[in-house]
Amino acid sequence: MEGENIIEMLHITKEFPGIIANDDITLQLRKGEIHALLGENGAGKSTLMSVLFGLYQPEKGIIKKNGEEVKIHSPNDATALGIGMVHQHFKLIDVFTVLDNIVLGAETTKLGFLQKKEARKKVEELSQRYGMKVDLDAKVEDITVGMQQRVEILKMLYRDNEILIFDEPTAVLTPQEIDELMATMKEFAKEGKSILFISHKLNEIMAVADRVTVLRKGKLVGTVNTKDTDKQSLSNMMVGRPVQLEVHKEPAKPGEVVLDVEGFSVPAKGHHKKDAVRDVSFQVRSGEIVCIAGIDGNGQTEFIHGLTGLDKAAGKVKLCGRDISHASIRERGENMSHIPEDRHKHGLVLDFTLEQNLVLQRFRETEFQHGGFIDQKAVRQYAEKLIDQYDVRSGQGPVTVARSMSGGNQQKAIIAREVDRNKPLVVAVQPTRGLDVGAIEYIHAQLVKERDAGKAILLVSLELDEVMSLSDRILVMYEGEIVGELDPKETTVQELGLYMAGAKRMNGKEGESA
Amino acid sequence: MRRKTGTLLEREGTRTVAASLISILIGLVVGSILIVIVGLISPNLGPSSIGDGIRLVLFGIVSTGRNAAGVLTWGFNPQNIGNMLFRATPLILTGLSVAVAFKTGLFNIGAPGQYLMGTMATLAIALGIPANAMPKPLLWLLAFLGGILAGALWGCIPGIVKAFLNINEVLACIMTNWIAANIVTWFFDATKVFQNTVENTKTSYIYKTTYGKTLVDGVWTYVEGNGVSTAKLGLDKLFPGSQVNGGFLIAILFAVGVYILMTKTTLGYQLKACGANRHSARYAGINDKRNIILSMAIAGALSGAGAALYYLAGNTEFFWSTYQSLPAIGFNGIPVALLAANNPIAVVFTGIFMSMLNIVGQQLRNLTAYNEYITDVIISVIVYLSAFSLVIKMFLTRRSKKGKETEPTPVKAAVPAAEPTAETVTAEPEVEGEEGGDKA
Repeated sequence: MEGENIIEMLHITKEFPGIIANDDITLQLRKGEIHALLGENGAGKSTLMSVLFGLYQPEKGIIKKNGEEVKIHSPNDATALGIGMVHQHFKLIDVFTVLDNIVLGAETTKLGFLQKKEARKKVEELSQRYGMKVDLDAKVEDITVGMQQRVEILKMLYRDNEILIFDEPTAVLTPQEIDELMATMKEFAKEGKSILFISHKLNEIMAVADRVTVLRKGKLVGTVNTKDTDKQSLSNMMVGRPVQLEVHKEPAKPGEVVLDVEGFSVPAKGHHKKDAVRDVSFQVRSGEIVCIAGIDGNGQTEFIHGLTGLDKAAGKVKLCGRDISHASIRERGENMSHIPEDRHKHGLVLDFTLEQNLVLQRFRETEFQHGGFIDQKAVRQYAEKLIDQYDVRSGQGPVTVARSMSGGNQQKAIIAREVDRNKPLVVAVQPTRGLDVGAIEYIHAQLVKERDAGKAILLVSLELDEVMSLSDRILVMYEGEIVGELDPKETTVQELGLYMAGAKRMNGKEGESA
Repeated sequence: MRRKTGTLLEREGTRTVAASLISILIGLVVGSILIVIVGLISPNLGPSSIGDGIRLVLFGIVSTGRNAAGVLTWGFNPQNIGNMLFRATPLILTGLSVAVAFKTGLFNIGAPGQYLMGTMATLAIALGIPANAMPKPLLWLLAFLGGILAGALWGCIPGIVKAFLNINEVLACIMTNWIAANIVTWFFDATKVFQNTVENTKTSYIYKTTYGKTLVDGVWTYVEGNGVSTAKLGLDKLFPGSQVNGGFLIAILFAVGVYILMTKTTLGYQLKACGANRHSARYAGINDKRNIILSMAIAGALSGAGAALYYLAGNTEFFWSTYQSLPAIGFNGIPVALLAANNPIAVVFTGIFMSMLNIVGQQLRNLTAYNEYITDVIISVIVYLSAFSLVIKMFLTRRSKKGKETEPTPVKAAVPAAEPTAETVTAEPEVEGEEGGDKA
């Protein structure tokens, strides 16, 4: 679609102390196109979009809409110009209903009374037209993440926005939901809406976008048509060097059994009668990566919480020959490191500094404390070593508050901490979620390196690519049970998908040998 | 010059101090305005009284009375300053109590209850054990430790309830406060023996700890001078005529101790980790339940220590029929901690400041026709604003940003506890209204 430019951001420069987040960036969005904005974490994508959405004011540069210069001082200005944004972390009120959330801020009223009926009609029409199913009367806290995102999208449509910004919309979705979203986005574009799509997932960009603008370290690398490029060259543009998209690893050489789980069950939270995890048994040996695959919400989280001691569980767990079925989290931690699923809730104390976070478990070790007093110097040295070794980037080094770091570097810090604890078992739950290609490459390489060093690695992942390329054995979890054990070299994504969807299951728990 | 203020304002610590100073300043200004208004409406106060009143509010601590001509005189007033330090002692400790809890993510509004339980234990030990049963310093120490222990145990209760049942500590603290008030009243009512019957003018007071339980002609009686009181440690020489004693130095030691505990030790690290993010602390194998209880116990112990030091002074009497009111010293720990931004060392200074206002009130009553309640208004304005020092700080952050377009410091975290922040937000329009009202 060769349309005229609906939005032009010309020579935008935005500085923060010590860093130029956007350096002379020009981005032109055509009417009716899907325009992807690609870049690593910290490349300036979100800053640029925040400028467009009125959250930041640029030092230099202008924004034009339909060829006329406009000033966007606040999100209200942006809304008035028909610009809507779905943020990476949804801005919804949990205890309000879906409908209330959609109309919030744009309520139709008569004499100060809400006219919910009209609003409901409009929302229902919209949701039918685009096939976006939502339960208007459900509370946001009770609906799935995928549905929450549909609510956010409906919010933009309800306001008749014609320029839609999606900030990493697929990071939280299941493969099926991603497909649906892609289809919806194409539908919008067909109707003449213009879409800005922030992502670092190359597959998705290649699938939906018409053009891609690539940013690197605050600078514009270029804008290309997706049909004239491919994944490899895009990722090279983004990272600035050739990137390995495939994981290279030698065949696994499994050794001793490190983790032995037998008849493991975890009760469900809330009022569900069924256990979230039911009678799971498997082993992980040293020198192999075993991956638990499955669609989100099939008991993986509960299983890991049970295994690591965060929640109560029934069944037998042996770690390095020791029965840890009833051990405390700390006792389990003696032989297990854990890269948690939720890096903000569990992985980091966000208000602590980076160095304090890097010794979250180790502060008790004699290396870091003497008679109950923390050896600040040793902590600082250790932090500097890890920061250097794992290339954790932050504003002020060891004393940076974790909250102010980018997501990718927060994750790198957690990985540095957990890998460096050097425990026989590494439990990694979605270690690359929300990260860019460069960081993913790095984390995958680390996990393979750990495997080759004789660690047992238990990986939980929702990303099929990751499951297929990284693991030596795949266990598929469906509704809290292990329904299949597959060899990634012999299986296909399609077959894996059938197991994940519950359409196929293996008889007998122990399938193939490792 | 401008640039210098800019960089100075960008520093977190500077902003914190500035925010507290602004709160104090506004409090004093409001107090002065009040003096003017009261002066204008009451017939027996003229322009000169208004001038005296304002000067006393601002500098009352260095007033030395009036000379023969009836003019206010100024200078070093050892008695006032000594009394200020004496009254600061328990405030510093309850301030520390609140600050420690804040640092670990808990809002200890239970300081009054812990203070009362500390009082009861201290007095029961100091007055209950016969004066010649052991050396006096040992008896003193026992009573002091008893107060600490009682405060700690009382502080544990909200901690336990929070850790195991996830009940908000504020609710539990408020309830335990009143339970303490009633237990203490009941205890002194039922035991009777501790009630001061010697000084007949006084009813419902407990013996000062200078009275010792002594066997006279086969009957246990309380003899003045036979009991214990905190050593003066030379402070009485420095501030002659005042009530100050070594307790003040002990309070400073406690502040330093708390500072070291929170910043240098593994225990402090764990406590802070639990406070900042209970989930990640748990994930890291830190026993979150134990730490919540421990944090409240430490907070309670500090309040208890405050009570012990106050009543072991030897010149203070406890009004035992306390079931209808809670000690203000306990509640005033909250503004002391807030003004100090929960920094244990700063608590020493804000504690002294709060007790200075108290002395100023006395001066106002003694030297002018104003009554001391004006300083209560000042204190309450400052209390009110101290909850706001966060808002003021945010305002300062924004100001300095406007000048230099600073990166929006990622919302400098849920500050100490959720409660004061929430209070701050809801209370904002009210205070604006109040200020406006005063100016009108």
